[in-house]
Amino acid sequence: MSGFDDKLENYYIKGVGVAGGVGIGQAAVIERLTTDMCPRRIISSEEVPLEIERFESAVQAAVDRLKDIRNGIDIDHPLCDHVYILDTHILLLHDKMFFEGTKAVIASERQNAEWALSEMMMKITSAFDTIEDEYLKERARDIHFVGERVLKILMGITSKSKMHQLPPHSVIVAHDLSPIDTAQIKKENVFGVAIDMGGRTSHTAIMARSLKIPSVTGLEKVSKLIQTGDTIIVDGSTGIAILNPDPETIFRYRKRQDLYRKYHQSLMAFGRLPAVTRDGSRTVRITANIELLDEVEIAVSHGAEGIGLFRTEYLFLGRKDLPSEEEQYEVYRQVLEHNKPDPVTIRTLDIGGDKMAAHFQVSHETNPALGLRAIRLCLARVDIFKTQLRAILRSAVHGNCKLLFPMISCLPELRAAKQILQEVRDELAGENKEFNPSVMVGVLVEVPAAVAIADLIAKEVDFFSIGTNDLIQYSLAIDRVNEHVNYLYDTLHPAVLRLIRQVTIAGHARGIEVAMCGEMAGEPVNIPILLGLGIDELSMNSLAIPMVKKLIRSINMDECVELTQQAFEMQDALDIHGFLEEWIKKHFPKDYFVDQS
Amino acid sequence: MAGEGEVVERTLIVGNQFGLHARVATMVVQAMKNFSCKVTLVKDDIEVDAGSVLELLLLAATPGSEILVRAQGPDSIEAIKELHRLIQHDESNEI
Repeated sequence: MSGFDDKLENYYIKGVGVAGGVGIGQAAVIERLTTDMCPRRIISSEEVPLEIERFESAVQAAVDRLKDIRNGIDIDHPLCDHVYILDTHILLLHDKMFFEGTKAVIASERQNAEWALSEMMMKITSAFDTIEDEYLKERARDIHFVGERVLKILMGITSKSKMHQLPPHSVIVAHDLSPIDTAQIKKENVFGVAIDMGGRTSHTAIMARSLKIPSVTGLEKVSKLIQTGDTIIVDGSTGIAILNPDPETIFRYRKRQDLYRKYHQSLMAFGRLPAVTRDGSRTVRITANIELLDEVEIAVSHGAEGIGLFRTEYLFLGRKDLPSEEEQYEVYRQVLEHNKPDPVTIRTLDIGGDKMAAHFQVSHETNPALGLRAIRLCLARVDIFKTQLRAILRSAVHGNCKLLFPMISCLPELRAAKQILQEVRDELAGENKEFNPSVMVGVLVEVPAAVAIADLIAKEVDFFSIGTNDLIQYSLAIDRVNEHVNYLYDTLHPAVLRLIRQVTIAGHARGIEVAMCGEMAGEPVNIPILLGLGIDELSMNSLAIPMVKKLIRSINMDECVELTQQAFEMQDALDIHGFLEEWIKKHFPKDYFVDQS
Repeated sequence: MAGEGEVVERTLIVGNQFGLHARVATMVVQAMKNFSCKVTLVKDDIEVDAGSVLELLLLAATPGSEILVRAQGPDSIEAIKELHRLIQHDESNEI
C-alpha cells in the first residue's frame, strides 16, 4: 500500500463467505468506537452522584432504543427468530456486573462514566477470554456491542451511517456488526455486507444468512481500507471482497451476479426432476443425509427423494439421561411421515463410548476409532439398543423405513444385532403394540473387513450402504483431522475405488441395492465414476442435490462406464483426480461449480 | 422472603448442543424475575446468580455439563422446576 490517501484500486481481500451471492454497491462504512477515543478524568467526590446519574440515563436511553427496534420487528420479518438477541442485550444493560459494577468503579475510583465503563468492559471481556468453548467465548462481543452503545450516548456521538437510512445500492462495511445493527438493515437497500471480524457462529453471520444478503466476514482490515461511497464488490460464495474495482472487474462480476442468480434458480429446478442419465438407461436415487428433524424441509425443497442417512446420535448427545422410547419414536415418526412414500434409512446409534461417559464406565481408550463404538457399543448395552429398535419398528408403520447397522466387521456381529431385532419384534408382538415387522435391514459398509466379506454379508441383509468417510480412514489408515497425515486422505485412491467396486459387485450378485452415504457421494467430480461403478443410491448434503441431479441428467451411461475403466487403469490418486476433473470441465465447460471450486 | 427458609438443591445437565448460551441465559434471567426466591447456579465450585446473563455466560457451561442449582425462598421448588425445563430440556432451537 502506498500513501494513506491513495485509494486502493481493484484490491482483492480474501475472507470467509457466510451468505452466498454477489453484491456490488457503494461502501457504507459503519464507524466503530475504540476505547482510546474515550475521555478520561478523575472526578471530585461531589461529582460522583451526578456522574452515576449520567451513566444511568445513558443506559436507559440505550434500553429504550433497543426496545424500539425490537418492537419494530414483526412476526413475518426474516429476523423474527433472532429477536431474542436484542432481549439478551437489554438484560445485559441491566446486568449487575455491568450496571452496578460500572457505578461502583465511578464511586470508588472517582473515574468519569466513560472511563469507568470502558474499564468494566475490558474486565468482562478478559473474563470471557478464559473460556475454552469457542461458541460461548464469542459472546464477549455482545457485551462489547452493548457497552459501546452506552459509550456513544455518553459521548454524544450519533452514528455517521444510520443503518436504517442507508442509501440504495449500499454495501455495509464494518469492523464488526452488532445484532442491533443487523436488525436495522433495510434489505432492499443493502446489497452486501463486508466485515473485518470472523466467525461463522457469530450472531451477525447467522442473521446475514437469514436475510439472504451476500456477506463476507474475516476480511481483517476492510473497514480501514475503504471509505464511504467507494465501490465494493462482495462475493459471498467465494468469500472475496474487491475494493474500488476497475470497470472490467465490475463488468465481470455483474455477469457473475447474473449467472449466480440464474444458475441458482435453474439449479433448483433440477431438484424436482429425477436423476436419470441422458440416455435414459440408469436412474439413481438421490437422497439426503440429515441429523435433525428440522433438516427434512430443506432436504425436500432441494429435491431429496428420501433420507439416505438419518444419523440418530443427536438425540443422545449433550444430555446425561437417555432419550426415552417415546421421545425417539416421535422424532422417527415425524421424519418418516414427512418423507412418505420416499424411504428413510435410520442408522442405529453410531457413537463412541467416550461421547457417552455418563452411561459407560469406559476406561480411557488410546484408540477410540478402533474401540467400543457404534454397533459394538449397542451390543454391549442391549438395553439402549433395544429401546432404539423398539422406537424404530413402531415408527415404521408411518412411512417407508429402512434400518442400517453401522460399523459391522464380521458376521457374528450382524447376526447378534439381527437376533436382538428379532427379540424386539417378539416383545412388541407380545405387548400387542402396533409396529412394522418387515423393515429392510442393511449394513453400513465402512470397515475394510466388511468389504472383504461383502459377498458373505450380502446373503444376510436387504441392502448395503457404503460409508466412505470412515471406510477411507480405516483402509488408508489416515486420521482425517490429523494435520500431519491428512494430505494422504484421498477419496479417489485406487484402493478406495477398488473397495467400492468390490461392494457393488457383491451386492448386485445377490440382487441387493448398494447406496453410498459419505461426503464422496455429493462431490460432482466423483459422480460419473460412481455411476460407472453401479451405485444405486447417492445420499448427500441437501444443498448438493440439485447440482448432482443436473450432472447425472446430462451424462450418458456408456461415457461413465468408459471413464471408469480408464480410471481403473491409473495408479495414482492425483492422476485419477486430475482425469475426472478434466472430464467434467470438458463436458460441462459452462457450469458454475467447476470454476467456483 | 428471599434468603429465608430451607435451601433446596438439585443437579441439572445442560441439554442444549451449544451449552448454556445467550438464548438460554436470557430465558433463565427473564423467568427468574417471576420468582421471589434467591437462585444460584454452581459449576466447578463457581457460584453465580441466576439473575445475571453475564454471570450465567461466564459459567462456561458446555453441552452435557453438570450444574448444581441452589434455591432459597418460598417458591424454590417451582423455580427449580422452571430451570430444569429451560436448561436440561432446552426448548430453544438456535443453530
